[in-house]
Amino acid sequence: MNDKIKRIYVPMTESGFYILFCLQTPQHGYGISQQVRRLTGGAVVIGAGTMYGTLSKMEKDGLIRFYSEEDKRRLYQLTELGREVLETEIKRIERLYKNSRGENIDG
Amino acid sequence: MGKLKIRFFTIADYEDEELWLRKQHQNGLKLVKMTPPCFYKFEECEPEDVIYRLDYKNGAQTEEYLQMLKDFGWEYFTHCVGWLYFRKPASAAKTEGEEELFSDNASRVDMAEKVARTRLIPLMVIFLCCVIPNLINAANGVMGRLSTFFGVFFGAMFGIYLFMIIYSGIKLNRIREKYKD
Repeated sequence: MNDKIKRIYVPMTESGFYILFCLQTPQHGYGISQQVRRLTGGAVVIGAGTMYGTLSKMEKDGLIRFYSEEDKRRLYQLTELGREVLETEIKRIERLYKNSRGENIDG
Repeated sequence: MGKLKIRFFTIADYEDEELWLRKQHQNGLKLVKMTPPCFYKFEECEPEDVIYRLDYKNGAQTEEYLQMLKDFGWEYFTHCVGWLYFRKPASAAKTEGEEELFSDNASRVDMAEKVARTRLIPLMVIFLCCVIPNLINAANGVMGRLSTFFGVFFGAMFGIYLFMIIYSGIKLNRIREKYKD
């Protein structure tokens, strides 16, 4: 992961995180928004414009790649770089979570 | 029966335009077409609460993009110099998030910056490279007998451009500030 990617995506927006998280299995934009709604009990709703913009940006930056097309809908999938960014974020969020519970991180 | 309304919104007034269009629809007028700079063609309809949203794509919309907006329940019905017009009945938006095209501040700021970059800067270039030099020429009488005519014309342009640039610049910046973390 180079500095540019790190600067843009670490830390990332909540929608960005959920989109990457969902793309561990190939999906299209609307599918992602439905999955995010289920995962978060409706607390996180991603708008159509934000979804499209984020997917385009992530594809350009190499975090996700085109997987296939189904009636004009493009399906995307995580790349190696995307997985690396996602894991970095998960670690950061875990640390936040632990610290918020009063736990310290060893090391 | 169609109805024509005249209303001027600058490139920075898209949020006001959305609210105005929603109010028209609540009063039984649905937008059919917008013709620059200020002509709105409506069609009479049953009054309904319909949310209007504008997205600025500057001609870069793809089939995939339009399909995605359709999946999210947005009806795309017209476009006008880079702006796309969408609407969705308020009853179809169950949560506040579904009423918006942009659900996070980063993408709202992006849009305001894109408008500034691709619309406000060209306005400034025209102002500096065309309006001002022509006004100076006219003032110096370089254009001969037509100098008075050009003087008045470019004087008016000078006023309009100056107003639009300052007004839109301040307002786009205000939108950016509003959504910036």
